[in-house]
Amino acid sequence: MNRRNFFAGAATAVAATTASRVSMAALPEPVMQSSTATAPPLAPPNGRPYNPVVTLNGWTLPWRMNAGVKEFHLVAEPVVREMAPGFKVNMWGYNGQSPGPTIEVVEGDRVRIYVTNKLPEHTTVHWHGQRLPNGMDGVGGITQPHIPPGKTFVYEFTARRPGTFMYHPHADEMVQMAMGMMGFWITHPKESHPLIEPVQRDFCFLLGSFDVEPGSATPKVNTMTDFNIWSFNSRVFPGIDTLNVRKGDRVRIRVGNLTMTNHPIHIHGHEFEVTGTDGGPVPRTARWPEVSVDVAVGQMRQMEFIADEEGDWSLHCHKAHHTMGPMGHEVPTMIGVDQKGVVDKIRKLVPDYMVMGDKGMADMGEMEMPIPDNTMPMMTGAGPFGSAEMGGMFTLLKVRRDQKPGDYKDPGWFKHPAGTVAREVPGASVPPAPRNAPSPGNSSNTDATVRKPSGAHNH
Amino acid sequence: MNPFVRRQLAGPPHCRRSSGALFKRAAAFGGALVLAGCASLSPDGGTADVQALVGNNPLMAGTTAQRVPDEASQKSVDALLAKPLDAESAVRIALVNSPRVQDAFATLQISDADRVQAASLPNPVLSFSRLAQGREREFERMLSFNVIGLVTLPWQARWAGQRHEAAKLQAAQSVLLLAADTRRAWVRAVSAQQSVVYLRDAKDAAEAGAELAHRMAQVGNWSALQRTREQLLLADAAAQLARAEQTAVATREQLTRLLGLGGERIGYTLPDRLPPLPKSAPELGDVQALALRDRLDVRSAQAQNTAVADSLGLTRATSVINAMEIGAVRNTTFENDADRSRSTKRGFELDLPLPLFDWGQARTGRAEAQYMQSAARVRDVGVLAASEAREAWQGWNTSYALARRYRDEVLPLRKKVNEEMVLRYNGMLASVWELLGETRASMLVVNAGIEAQRDFWLADTDLQLALTGSSPGGMTALQTATAGDAPAAGGH
Repeated sequence: MNRRNFFAGAATAVAATTASRVSMAALPEPVMQSSTATAPPLAPPNGRPYNPVVTLNGWTLPWRMNAGVKEFHLVAEPVVREMAPGFKVNMWGYNGQSPGPTIEVVEGDRVRIYVTNKLPEHTTVHWHGQRLPNGMDGVGGITQPHIPPGKTFVYEFTARRPGTFMYHPHADEMVQMAMGMMGFWITHPKESHPLIEPVQRDFCFLLGSFDVEPGSATPKVNTMTDFNIWSFNSRVFPGIDTLNVRKGDRVRIRVGNLTMTNHPIHIHGHEFEVTGTDGGPVPRTARWPEVSVDVAVGQMRQMEFIADEEGDWSLHCHKAHHTMGPMGHEVPTMIGVDQKGVVDKIRKLVPDYMVMGDKGMADMGEMEMPIPDNTMPMMTGAGPFGSAEMGGMFTLLKVRRDQKPGDYKDPGWFKHPAGTVAREVPGASVPPAPRNAPSPGNSSNTDATVRKPSGAHNH
Repeated sequence: MNPFVRRQLAGPPHCRRSSGALFKRAAAFGGALVLAGCASLSPDGGTADVQALVGNNPLMAGTTAQRVPDEASQKSVDALLAKPLDAESAVRIALVNSPRVQDAFATLQISDADRVQAASLPNPVLSFSRLAQGREREFERMLSFNVIGLVTLPWQARWAGQRHEAAKLQAAQSVLLLAADTRRAWVRAVSAQQSVVYLRDAKDAAEAGAELAHRMAQVGNWSALQRTREQLLLADAAAQLARAEQTAVATREQLTRLLGLGGERIGYTLPDRLPPLPKSAPELGDVQALALRDRLDVRSAQAQNTAVADSLGLTRATSVINAMEIGAVRNTTFENDADRSRSTKRGFELDLPLPLFDWGQARTGRAEAQYMQSAARVRDVGVLAASEAREAWQGWNTSYALARRYRDEVLPLRKKVNEEMVLRYNGMLASVWELLGETRASMLVVNAGIEAQRDFWLADTDLQLALTGSSPGGMTALQTATAGDAPAAGGH
């Protein structure tokens, strides 16, 4: 979505809320978003200048300057989020989408945020990580009364320290977050900061998890551990936009974790340093190079590196099942089970029956068989060389020498220089590895017994 | 001598027999009765009468019950057996071939014979004696009639006629019951055979699951517990199938018996499935009124009641003159002396027991009690018929709704579940065992649907029978009760 369309869309949304204008006369008009595309960075039209961020498959909330105070208007409401083409989920979010819009301010800004509750139940907004008056912390019942449905509350504080923050409800928190209520907050430094380097590309996204029964559209809010949808900004591969950068750019990627488990975020082809956490910039002496960083529950990390290797580099959570679509956790391993003779019998009863899993599950990435409506395949996506067999928290960092500064368009698949792609060795004939499973029938002399500790190890 | 016993001991009666001069005098008593008493055996054994009673009944499949199978009927049986046997064909075969029909007609014929017998004049009895005393010879010839037999002949004839009417109604009921039983047996046999097909599929699904489980365990993917569970499912499915197969055999044999089949004919084929449900419920109006008007057991009870009422009148008349006999006597005495004289005495002899001890009150009382009993039975059958009509109609509606629910809701939903499970399997969201489990479950649901359809067709037959024929379940009991109820032929 380009800037022109973005504001046209916003205008439409404003018109649609005319009915409530009178009551909202004193409030900034809420700006709504109907697109799931990554909005271009929102250059600040007023106030102190800063280098805006790009929210992956998201957008930054415009504000109104009112007597030196930046006024935002968040509307908490039910939304339908398209998590990937053809996969829509009934969520709760802010201003038309989940996650809500990113709020960008500058260190020292006076900020006033109106929060209108259009949810069926009360809510609050907690400004995760901020220094603020205790009564602005947004903990329902503790620091403020809840915002009842249909009411608008206002929060006001000064953004005191630069850094990466989040916002989310602190009322019926588990349910509201399971339904997708969350958003990013960036406080840019007001002047050059010794620990905060200027970057050419500044991306941010939130990690989210949902439990959507295959064939349904609403997350199960009481799920504690057995989630099946793992998302960047409420999008799943192949629905997540790529991070497109120019070769040589200094790139910052800010990640916040609002799931109930940790995520080792891994970037291919580059080493990065964690230059900031929820607590602020990391002293240089405390930084070290790495290629994966574990973002624990409720944490934020910002990774920085020079994108100096051209190509399409994977960027994903390193928990393998988080780069997958929904799967049947009770489906047993079928590897090595020859279904000869049984297939015909089953096909007589289930004509559409296909043998799957007897060699592994890669079949799934290749076969395009009908699956339940509104369901992501367990493995999907295609690259220039075949099936990507991925899902969930997976996207690409695309580094191109000819990507123009300020251009965030997807440059397409990388054109590999000749001779730089792994290839088949011609003429070599190697027999497949034999399967060496012991026959349980005569395994009595197999003494090795592995006793695993039991307990919740779902993730 | 008891006139009734005597009548029965006499040879085959013939009402136009001439018995010479003496008879002419005796004929004065019975002359008026000749027309009334003249009766003959029905030539077709009552087939036409029975047909008139049941011919329009939908249970009869538009066919005629046959008293004795003939070559033509056997040919038609063979022709019907050549094709898969539908319900109507089964009824047609049973009605011409079943021993039960022959039994019913034979019973009717016996009743017919009784009727004819009752309507016949008692045979005159001729006694002849020769007495010798010295040279004297005396010839005594006496032609005697059971007068009481003549006196009660109208009653006897009417009463026997009424009993025969009741017997016709009973024979008609037997025929209808056979038709109904045949339909029910056919429905059961077809549905049992249909069940076997689906339970075999269910077993095949379990077999596939067990075989795959075996292979899973073989390569180390599954434990003995998991494998054994699947084997258990197979064992269970196999047991269910075995039961269903036995039911199919048993229900088919029941049908075979009703059809009266044996030999090579038992290899007949049944259709693959029961007929589809009718589109809507019939408009029947007041089912109770229908049943009370049309039911053969109600009409039969009423006819018997009338007969008993008549027999009461008979008893009243005979309570005093129980064994009155009147005889014409002609005695000739030969003196055998020189003048060869002989003398002849003529006259009547009346033999009248004096009712000193038996004034017939007991007999009258018994007859009245019998009448009360018979009237009570009419009421009983009436209550039964009305109640059964209501019950059968309700049963019809319930089973119809149930069978439709299976057809229109349960089975499509079940199909949808299966399709969704295939999609889940495709997405590796469910295992092949879950898929097979759904398949097995859906076979059981299909089977339940077949049973609902079967129950509907059984209820349909019950309704036809309850409205027009007889008690759907109680005919046998009724027969026993009415048999004991019939006043015995005067033997008291």
